[in-house]
Amino acid sequence: MQLLEKVRKTEFLGKEFLAWLWFRTETERGSFKLDDKTVEIWFDGKITLQGENERGLETVTCSGESKSMKEARFALAENKEVVQATLVLDMGDNQWHFVLDSLWLNFKTFKTPKVMQDKRDDPDGLFYEKMFLIEEAVSAMDGIYAEFLKLRISPEWSGEEIPALSRWINEGK
Amino acid sequence: MGLISGSGSFTRYRIKGNPAEKFLEGLDDKIGHHTFRNLTEDSTQERSIGWVNVMDMFDNRFSELEFLKEPYVAMSLRVDERKIPATALKQYALEAEERIKVTENLDFLPKRRRADIKEGVKLRLLKRAIPGSKVYDMIWNYSTGNVIFACTNTKLCDEFHELFLKTFDLHLLAMCPYTLGSGFLEKKGDSPDLLDGLSPSNIWGEA
Repeated sequence: MQLLEKVRKTEFLGKEFLAWLWFRTETERGSFKLDDKTVEIWFDGKITLQGENERGLETVTCSGESKSMKEARFALAENKEVVQATLVLDMGDNQWHFVLDSLWLNFKTFKTPKVMQDKRDDPDGLFYEKMFLIEEAVSAMDGIYAEFLKLRISPEWSGEEIPALSRWINEGK
Repeated sequence: MGLISGSGSFTRYRIKGNPAEKFLEGLDDKIGHHTFRNLTEDSTQERSIGWVNVMDMFDNRFSELEFLKEPYVAMSLRVDERKIPATALKQYALEAEERIKVTENLDFLPKRRRADIKEGVKLRLLKRAIPGSKVYDMIWNYSTGNVIFACTNTKLCDEFHELFLKTFDLHLLAMCPYTLGSGFLEKKGDSPDLLDGLSPSNIWGEA
């Protein structure tokens, strides 16, 4: 199989990852232990879901302050898949805000915690501080995705995780 | 404002294979061949693309190897573009057609001639247009092989990919759920083929 074909054939992994992450954040407070760090993650604000039916592709975008995200949960329960989500990542004293998409797992409108260095006084200091913050968040998301993947290819996925995930999804109706 | 100076979106890549052992030597020459060049006034060139200093988009000389911030190679991709607003082009072209009809005493201009007039008008207007500039940061961590490009537009990402290859003679692999996953599996000593056997789960349970 050529790489592009493989990428297309496994597109569902990104959608399942976002749905699973949402489930984890709602049921286990989105807390992940990665090496020596504890990472908290939650869905915040806008979420986009998509589904196909006889009329074609349908996109549902929900945004708002409500913690329950009732409309988005309903769309998920109605067989829509999560294609984009706004996330907050909390690690140590820092918080990152970004939108993650399911197709490439690209980071959009990525905001790091405020950088203390001044561009004029110490441009290299600013660069290194910013890179540290970018790589820290990317590495944490990679760690969470690796955890998902480990589960996804294990027998636990269909044995325990899927039934729990389905129950949670159907509670959204 | 780029990713380093502010916030933004980015696409991730991994270098395919390993760079040569002493790849840092002569890097300034390689980059020098692909630095950004200003669109000259009075030219009809529509677009210019190339590398600039990540901390200063007006610096394309890298006189003190500013691209090297160990263990990173960091630059911005600067894209300057001259654009003629469609309505302005239409108006100027119509006026030019009218003048030609009067001068040559014609009632009608064939389609081909109108296209030539429009092209001539476009070139004339391009010389007057001030280019718009955009920068997209690129950071290559050569100790891990990871590359970040501060853009998610597919067309521009393709251009970046091509320029990266021309500059460094290295191919990039775009990160996505599959490529990221196969990387994790390889690191763990598992076969990436494990991903090929997966099919979508019914996360909604039995209907």
